Amino acid sequence: MKEITSAIQLIPLEHYILLCIALFSIGLMGVLFRRNTIVILMCIELMFNSVNLLLAAFSAFHSDPAGQVFVFFIMVVAAAEVAVGLSIVVMMKRNVDSVDINLLNRLKW
Amino acid sequence: MLLLIILLVPFISGLFLFLFRKKETVRILALAAAIVNLLLTFSLVFSDFHATYSVKWMNILSTTFGLGYDGISLIMLVLTNLLFPFIILAGFNRHQKQVQLLNFLILFTQSALIGVFLAQSGFLFYIFWELTLIPVYFILLLWGGEGRKAITLKFFIYTLAGSLLLLFGIIYLFQLTAGVHTTDFSAFNQLQIPENTQIWLFWILFIAFAVKMPVFPFHTWQPSTYTNAPTQGVMILAGVMTKMGIYGALRFLLPIVPLGVNYWQNFVITLCLIGVIYASAIAFRQKNLKTLIAFSSMAHISLMAAAMFVLNTYALQGLLFQVLSHGVVIVALFYMANLIEEKAGTLDLSIMGGIKLKAPNMAILLLIVVLGSIALPLTAGFVGEFLMLTGLFEQSVWFAVAGGAAMVLSAIYMLYAYQRVMLGEVKAGFEKITDIRTLDFVILIPLIVVILGLGIYPQPVFNLLEDSITSLQHLFLPVLDLIYQH
Amino acid sequence: MVGFSQYINLAWLVPAFPLLGFLITGLANKRLKYNQAGIVASSMVALSFLMSVFLFFLLRSYGQDKATVTLFDWISVGNMKIPFALLIDHLSLTMMMIVTGVGMLIHIYSIGYMHDDERVNSFFAQMNLFTFSMLLLVMGANYLILFIGWEGVGLCSYLLIGFWFKNPSYNYSARKAFVMNRIGDLGFIIGIILLFFTFKTLTFTEVFAKASTFQTGAPVITLITILLLVGAVGKSAQIPLFTWLPDAMAGPTPVSALIHAATMVTAGIYMIARSGILYNLAPITLNIIIFLGLATAILAAIIGLKQNDIKKVLAYSTVSQLGYMFLALGLGAYSTAVFHLTTHAFFKALLFLGAGSIIHAMGGEQDIRKMGGMKSKMPVTYFTFLAATLAISGIPPFSGFFSKDLILSKAFEHNIILFVLALGGALLTCFYMFRLFYLVFYGEQRMAGINPHESPKVMTIPLIILGFLTVFGGFLNVPSLFGGSSAFSAFLQTAVIENVTEELSHSTEIILILISLLLLILVILYAHRIFIKKAFVLADDGEPMTFTGKLISNRFYLDELYAFAFEKPFGRLSDFLYKKIENTILDPAVDRIGTGTSELGDLARKLQKGNMSFYLFTMVAGILLFILFILII
Repeated sequence: MKEITSAIQLIPLEHYILLCIALFSIGLMGVLFRRNTIVILMCIELMFNSVNLLLAAFSAFHSDPAGQVFVFFIMVVAAAEVAVGLSIVVMMKRNVDSVDINLLNRLKW
Repeated sequence: MLLLIILLVPFISGLFLFLFRKKETVRILALAAAIVNLLLTFSLVFSDFHATYSVKWMNILSTTFGLGYDGISLIMLVLTNLLFPFIILAGFNRHQKQVQLLNFLILFTQSALIGVFLAQSGFLFYIFWELTLIPVYFILLLWGGEGRKAITLKFFIYTLAGSLLLLFGIIYLFQLTAGVHTTDFSAFNQLQIPENTQIWLFWILFIAFAVKMPVFPFHTWQPSTYTNAPTQGVMILAGVMTKMGIYGALRFLLPIVPLGVNYWQNFVITLCLIGVIYASAIAFRQKNLKTLIAFSSMAHISLMAAAMFVLNTYALQGLLFQVLSHGVVIVALFYMANLIEEKAGTLDLSIMGGIKLKAPNMAILLLIVVLGSIALPLTAGFVGEFLMLTGLFEQSVWFAVAGGAAMVLSAIYMLYAYQRVMLGEVKAGFEKITDIRTLDFVILIPLIVVILGLGIYPQPVFNLLEDSITSLQHLFLPVLDLIYQH
Repeated sequence: MVGFSQYINLAWLVPAFPLLGFLITGLANKRLKYNQAGIVASSMVALSFLMSVFLFFLLRSYGQDKATVTLFDWISVGNMKIPFALLIDHLSLTMMMIVTGVGMLIHIYSIGYMHDDERVNSFFAQMNLFTFSMLLLVMGANYLILFIGWEGVGLCSYLLIGFWFKNPSYNYSARKAFVMNRIGDLGFIIGIILLFFTFKTLTFTEVFAKASTFQTGAPVITLITILLLVGAVGKSAQIPLFTWLPDAMAGPTPVSALIHAATMVTAGIYMIARSGILYNLAPITLNIIIFLGLATAILAAIIGLKQNDIKKVLAYSTVSQLGYMFLALGLGAYSTAVFHLTTHAFFKALLFLGAGSIIHAMGGEQDIRKMGGMKSKMPVTYFTFLAATLAISGIPPFSGFFSKDLILSKAFEHNIILFVLALGGALLTCFYMFRLFYLVFYGEQRMAGINPHESPKVMTIPLIILGFLTVFGGFLNVPSLFGGSSAFSAFLQTAVIENVTEELSHSTEIILILISLLLLILVILYAHRIFIKKAFVLADDGEPMTFTGKLISNRFYLDELYAFAFEKPFGRLSDFLYKKIENTILDPAVDRIGTGTSELGDLARKLQKGNMSFYLFTMVAGILLFILFILII
């Protein structure tokens, strides 16, 4: 384990942070501007994983395993979320024959 | 303990009413409770024993459940407990739905009102202050006239919004108190609040009372509410609840923010006197008898509010005397208006006339009540208004002239109303009107006796009030003297 | 002295009797049969009269000037101590005897006059209440007790003027009387309050004792006297508040007699005479009073020339005579004013009761154009009416001559122009009274279908007694010119402080009397020529009139002017406030807060479009803003 930690520490922390910001922003933009529900779900995954990556990096740099525990938590939650999300998408496809998120605007007033 | 009994008798006996089915039994029981409470109140008035009651309550606010009274509270208490038997009597022999609930709500209101007048801390005061609204809201909503929903809602929200500022004020005062924070009046009275704070705090506290009284321009809930409220509801509202505003202002404004009072004095008096003239002028052209009485009530209350801010002994004595006299007069007036509505089927002055020919006794009683309302000497109204005018005069001649103009104007519109209802030939549709019955005599004669009795021999009331007013003045006059010395 | 204080304490009985009568006749309303109410009411006033006479002799036998009877503490607040007390002195005794004496005769007369009215009981109840109020007014020992009576007579006049309440115009007159009085009362009450703050007391004796510390012309005294004057102007029907009095004719005739002769209108005179010490200190106010009195005397006399209603003529003559009393007051001759008040009470009560007798005989007709030839049919009424007419015109030796002559000579002392104007008014009075007299009693009866006859005894006996008083009442106060000792004035000296000027020489007085007498006789002859010789017939309502004629017979359009200047604008103000301010500004403003809140809710609701991306976008934007906010802080 020591080697992996030191291998991670070869790259400075700033690079991880910048990468994660980039990944997170890409995911965020995707969520905001794409209309396809599946793509939105994928973008949400991307945001999750950017956070996971950041948590892992911090964990290594601070020699604190708690961050990696969180990463596993998040992966489990994300898997459950994807299961629920995809089933919603399937129901949507069946009901309105589309996965365009803008068609889901009944929930107002 | 006596105070706790007086506070709880109406409420608890109100609960018992639900055990009975027969309407008359329920009414008689409610009346009995009110009369017992009246007798207990008189025992307070005539005994030297000074009752107080206090238990620990809510440590977190370090507030005690404290009841007590002085002469001012006593006058309010006498007024409340004097009027409620008549208010309950007003329901006798009348067709009403849900008699149990109605009488319970009336007694509930009575308890809450007593609580307001006995409370010794701001917190308790506020609780009872808001508690009065709940039963009255339902009385107006369930037994009111047409359009009652919107009107009742307006009344409720308007007064509630005003009270919210009062709550803010109380909390503000609470955190100002020295040592362990408390909302007791005794602690509030000792606060030394800087003048700049008092100037805005005055309005925070005043608006709640101004809405309740009501003072121009916070009065717009009043005419429609009075016109559409059921008789007993309007008797409670006009007779006692408006006096709550005056009582609250006396308890909160004068001792706690004397500098604020001093700063706004002339402004508020002017505002009140504008209200006096304004309401009198509007009353002059009203077609609906109840609306006319509502505006006349507003004129009288505004004069009382003006007199309060004069701060001298004449005005305060006159004001509190007038509280008593106006309460009795306005209750009698609204009862008569209701009788007229019952018998004639309308309140429209433009189509009424000649009722005196059919109901001479009713005409005489109405005339006496009207005369009490326009402050004829030897009725209670005159003593109060004369003292208030004297007080206003000490402040400024023009205040007294404006206040006196109300006396002239009230003669114009009240006699106009009397004439339209009672005099002239019998108009078509009013031939079958009958004269008043024994029950109406039972209600009206005692009220008239009070009106005349207080007018002829008012001194006991002044003696009762004298010490309390002096001690109230001791709370603010030294502060003001200090100001004037600088 | 023990006996005196015991007896004087019975003074409260004087007002108590009429009050008792009021309660009996008022409460026992329907149970009193036939004339019982009238008899009870009259006997109560009679008892009150006897009590007053008793008090008069009591004071006299113990050699006392005045006595105060305190009943109880009425209002005692702070520094204000107002006892419910009665003051018995020569002035109040004079007034008490006039009020109860003349009042008693009017009550007795009313038994006959009102006997077939269905509401006779309440009539007598109200008459008793009226007497009670007036007694309280003249007996009160301080200004506030006086004010009780002051407003009380206002109320009673309201009730009695509107006694026949089926008629809307009568009700209007009643309300007008009350409201005009109240306007005056406003000035009066403000005056009382100012008086209180100036003297720290309202009791007459204390106020007058302290008044000497003020200098003549002190502004505060002038202001007080003017404010009190406003009240007197309302009550005693002077310019500009006199229009209610002629309208007050709507009531039954005995009421008119009571209002005009014994009570109510004399209140203002009494009050000013009572406050003489204050008025002596305020020369400006006295001049105002002179002006008002003289103007009223002449204006009312001019209007009286053209009235065709018998009661209206008498009403304007009252206004005019009150003007003379005011003139006397303004000249500082308070006892003269009270003397004229006394003689006026006699002859004006007689005139009204006589007029009532005529109206009674004519079956309710009041238009003098329809009367005539009553002389032979109603001899008692004729002779008593003649005596009263001569008295009011100021023909010696009738009572009016002495009092009016005294006023004229006082006016002459002051200023000759005053004298000329006052004499002119007196000549006008003489003319319109004889016009009335000739038209009613002489010539042919001008209305067919009725057969006038003399009134019953219960009505004629009061007439005869009043006639007696009218003829000989003047001898109460025979001036030194005729070898008398001015007993009446001397009697009042202890209670009324005159603003004395030097006496006229006897020769000047004789010349003045001769001049006025000569002119009066010429006027009577002129009236005789027009109305008897030429049998002049008055124009009917429809016929065209000259401009001045129209102006006078319409009372200078004063009622219309007041309606235009006050009533209408006030009604419009009321409408404006209600419709424009209350219903379009204030009330909607409050409702606006309510609707505004719900509109705000509506607006916020619009944000919830249901558009997912928009939600997400706002969420992210919100988070970013939050982060930004934290970073900046």
